Amino acid sequence: MNEAMNFNFLRNAPLPPNGRKVAVIGAGPSGLAAAGYLGGLGYQVEVYDKLPKPGGLMTFGIPSHRIPSARIDAGVLILERSLGVNFHCKTKVCCSAPLHEEEGDHFSWDMIGLGELVENHDAVIICTGSWKSRRLGIPGEKLAGVYSGLEFLFPIRAARYDTRNMHTPDVTGKNVIVIGAGHSAMDAAHAALHLDAAKVSVVYRRTKEDAPCGTFEIDRLLELGATWVEKTSPTAILGKAEVQALEVEGPEGKRTLPADTVIGAIGEIPTPPFAGELGLENIRKGDVRWLNMTAINNVFVAGDVLSGPSKVGKAVESGLKAARSLANWLDMKSHDPDACFSEQERYKEGRP
Amino acid sequence: MSAQKTLFVDYSKCIGCETCEAVCGFINDKPRIHMTRTRDGLMVPLYCHHCEEAHCAKVCKKGAIAKDRDGALVLQTMLCRGCETRQCILACPFGAIFATATGVAVRKCDLCASRRDLGMNPACAEMCPCGAVMFVERDKVEQLTTEESETSLKRVIEHIRPAVRRKA
Repeated sequence: MNEAMNFNFLRNAPLPPNGRKVAVIGAGPSGLAAAGYLGGLGYQVEVYDKLPKPGGLMTFGIPSHRIPSARIDAGVLILERSLGVNFHCKTKVCCSAPLHEEEGDHFSWDMIGLGELVENHDAVIICTGSWKSRRLGIPGEKLAGVYSGLEFLFPIRAARYDTRNMHTPDVTGKNVIVIGAGHSAMDAAHAALHLDAAKVSVVYRRTKEDAPCGTFEIDRLLELGATWVEKTSPTAILGKAEVQALEVEGPEGKRTLPADTVIGAIGEIPTPPFAGELGLENIRKGDVRWLNMTAINNVFVAGDVLSGPSKVGKAVESGLKAARSLANWLDMKSHDPDACFSEQERYKEGRP
Repeated sequence: MSAQKTLFVDYSKCIGCETCEAVCGFINDKPRIHMTRTRDGLMVPLYCHHCEEAHCAKVCKKGAIAKDRDGALVLQTMLCRGCETRQCILACPFGAIFATATGVAVRKCDLCASRRDLGMNPACAEMCPCGAVMFVERDKVEQLTTEESETSLKRVIEHIRPAVRRKA
């Protein structure tokens, strides 16, 4: 049986090298799908990723009991061996945010500017995903013991690769409260139970039936011993230096729940490098003539970084479509090297 | 005749990531495997099981659904006349035949017929990150079935056919 997530699924053997070189920034689902598409067409593909291993959140965010990392590793090996894709891990491509602001930046040893990449490659495709956690926006968020979903989950997987800087959160015997009811909230609660937390409660502002992860996931969590607190919103995190309690407002009015660890798993926001310069807002609105191309010629964008946090499948699709668009663009340019859109032409309604 | 193969999705391994639907849509224009969310929040794909005794093939008056050499039930689009009743859609126990708005009246999975001709496997099975979508010999399905996969399948069937009673 098939043991790999085969990013080279479109063909048996790649076309002969076509002499073009592309850089893919980000080795998550959309980056790997784009690498597979372009590698199969005979492109020399260079993939850059800030993490020590390709896979993105499929490897570092989603727990291995959901996505076996061996399948991703095997898929990456196919890209390397049969398509000749080169992976440059622990390399961060310069970002609008300062280093160490996003989860996973700790791993980067090397930094490259986007301009450098654009100069050295025929085209660049940005697939950096959404790595910045949405904050709760309540008092006490800076206290020790407060995590976002990703901050809590990421080190559990990443500690294997760098034991000096990465530590699995210590929740043994502690009272853990998870805020949110999406899949990452469920994964965080599972992980906390797995790490021997004394008590795990999930706080959600709406009811079980409204939960994005579904009642099935919640019931499974409750079977494992977690507590479900619905129709309740957090209003403040209390404590001096460390978390001591979570103040919540629910149907019974205001009350405080004792807590040693609070995990706010309420989603991520995209982290595009140079969002303004790339004109991502226009691409999102579908306001460009050339699919998935940014305001900079030859620079394309795909996946969660463009459309916000979604699903592996959406990212894969976006990666494939952007790669196809990139190949079509370079083909057109090779027929007529002068072909390029004027500023007026690029946007359907003229420059907004 | 070559070994009869089919698609098998272990719903208990599926995380509902939609990769199968996405790649199917990428190579076939419109996807032929369709994600659905059951009432209790399980996200799973509805897919053609390429049944040995296929109801869809039996009910089609035009004989437009036929079995190919690998055992895949293939819709011969030129024969499908788009009957008003869409018998095949009603007959499918797995909700795997989809009505279309334009062109041929229905679409269904053909186990990536043109890819198989070139020695490749169905795209959904190739790209599933979880190994939940499998392209296997029909007689291997039983071995792959587990207690968990059966429980999840039951939940899906209850969702798409609420009135059907399955054997315990």
